[in-house]
This record gives sequence, C-alpha cells and structure tokens, in this order.
Amino acid sequence: MLRESSALEGEPADITAIANPGHDSRVPHGPTLIAFAEAIVTGSQALEAARTAVVEAIGPAATVDAAGVASNFERMVRIAGSTGIELGDRLERGSADARAELGLTRPSAPTRH
Amino acid sequence: MLSYASAPVPVRSGFAESHQRFWDRLARPGAGWTGAERVAIAHEARAAARCDHCRQRRSALSPHIVAGRHTAVTDLPDAAVEVAHAVMQDAGRLTRRWYEARLAEGLSDGQYVEIVGTVVALVSIDRFCRAVAVPEHALPAPLPGAPTAYRPARAVLHLDEAWVPMVPMDNADTPEADLWPAGKTGNVIRAMSLVPDEVRTLADLSAVHYLPNERVRDASACQGSLSRPQMELIAGRVSVLHDCFY
Repeated sequence: MLRESSALEGEPADITAIANPGHDSRVPHGPTLIAFAEAIVTGSQALEAARTAVVEAIGPAATVDAAGVASNFERMVRIAGSTGIELGDRLERGSADARAELGLTRPSAPTRH
Repeated sequence: MLSYASAPVPVRSGFAESHQRFWDRLARPGAGWTGAERVAIAHEARAAARCDHCRQRRSALSPHIVAGRHTAVTDLPDAAVEVAHAVMQDAGRLTRRWYEARLAEGLSDGQYVEIVGTVVALVSIDRFCRAVAVPEHALPAPLPGAPTAYRPARAVLHLDEAWVPMVPMDNADTPEADLWPAGKTGNVIRAMSLVPDEVRTLADLSAVHYLPNERVRDASACQGSLSRPQMELIAGRVSVLHDCFY
C-alpha cells in the first residue's frame, strides 16, 4: 500500500526503507516518522526526542496521528502472527513483489508447524 | 472516563472515546470468559513485559525449546497465561502446533480468539499511551455475569486460510453481516470473527487509529494530518520490526 499510495501522489516511494531505514523512502519526513515508530515499538529512551522531532517537523496533530498508526499496527501484527492467517489470493498476488523486495517470507500453512 | 488531557500534544477526542468503549467491554463478560477473567487476561498481557520466561524465549533461537513457567500475576489457567504472554511478546514465532497444544490443554478455539482479541486491543491502547507520553490507564473493575458462549453458526475452519475458524466472507444473511459492511475484508480482520465482538472492537479502534476497515484497500484514502504514504511508511516499519509477513 506504500508503493500504491505514493504512486498516486506522484512520488513513488522506495519501499525498502521500511526494512532499511538508511534508505531514502522519498516520503516527506520519512526518517523522522520511522524513528518515532521505532521508538514506540521498542520503548527506547529515544522516544521523547523522536516525538519532539515529529512535533517540530510536522506538528502536534500529525504526531498524534503517527502515534495512532504505529499503535494500530502493534495490534495487527499480533493478530496475523497468532492466528496463522494466509494472505489470500488477492493480497498474495498484489504483494509478491514487495515482499520479495523486503525479504519478508513465511512458510505456508501446511508447513508452519 | 479515559483521558489524554495530560499528553504534551492535544489528542483528538475520538481516541479517548474509542478506548473507553473497549475498556467498558473489557470489564463485561465476553463469549468465553467472565469479566474478571477478561481483566485478568489484560493484567497478564501487561505482566509479560516483566516475565523472565518470556525474556528467555525471545532471546532463544526457537521459543519452543525453552522450558520453564511464566511469571503469572493472576489465577488464570496456565494455557490462558501462555497465550496472553506469547501473543504479547513473541506473536511472530507462534505455530499451528503451539496453537493446537493450547486447545489440548483445555482452551476452546473461541476462548483463544477472545484472548488474542483482548491482548491486541490492549496493546494498541497501551502503545498509544506510550507514544503520547501518558501513563497506561488503570484496568477497569470487572462486572459480574457469565460468558455468553456465543459462536457464529457458520464459522468454519479452513486450514488453508488460518488456524482458527472464521466466519465466511459471504455472511450477508447472518447476525454477523455488520462485521465487514463492504461485503469483503482481509483475513487479518476475519481472523477474529469467531468472536464477532472482537471484529467490532477492531473496527472501532482502527477507525480512529488508522482508517475505517472498509477504506483500507483504497490507496487514496487517508485521514488526519498525515498523507497516506506517511501512514503506510509507519505501518510498514512497525510490521517489519515485528517480522510480520502480512
């Protein structure tokens, strides 16, 4: 969805930045948002500075929105991991390139014992 | 009422309202657990961060080779404690064999899904608190009553879709017709449908934190102050940090 949405906005993102934060995602304020997301997940001591950086770069409302999105996906990743869901045909096809680019794989259901 | 008034940035009211609705639901009996048990599941999920056994398993090559017991803080059955801690701390490395072992220990599939639903709703609220520098909310006092034992009549297990039974995508003529009003949804939403209220909670939280479920697949959809690519960059980074293939 990062690739699709950024293409719609006329500036295709480099999706490898989500696996390699050193890469330039070409998303405005990308490094600042990634640093905030990482600090939320890890609870690191960098969180306060990361939050301040987002406030200063994009504003308080965007900071809250970023907090909302990051914490939303703390939920979704756990559902995916704990229920053994498969992608489904549509998502499987649509995300194959992106998953290969990011090196994200998972054994299929019959083998994930 | 839950509040974000102490946050260093103004938090729009939708967050507190949505989180309060989950808090209210958390205190009530669910489909497979009493209110007291549901609140206990939430206590265990929070306690997992301080559990030595969880810490040892996370650092092991495989979590399934580490012997020992969780540092439980409630009198929930061991199987329920295991699920609450594992989903919280190491969900990306769970397996179908591990899930089936929990069923063999006495959990029903519906009870399992309800634990997962409780833990994941809680973690999203607790992480939001962390993100906006507000202390975790005190868990609610449980309300009395027995579990409803509700189970969707058409829920079925297809192992090529998930480990857990799910409501079929075509559910228009069932009491679960409201779960995906657009008529279709992703497996990550359907995965919770054995306990329909878990999908309703998921939808309620998602609509505030991210997007209404029915708009997620529209790449032009966004809300709030971030562009959709900015939202997806954050979502993608969080997913990668958890080794989430989805």
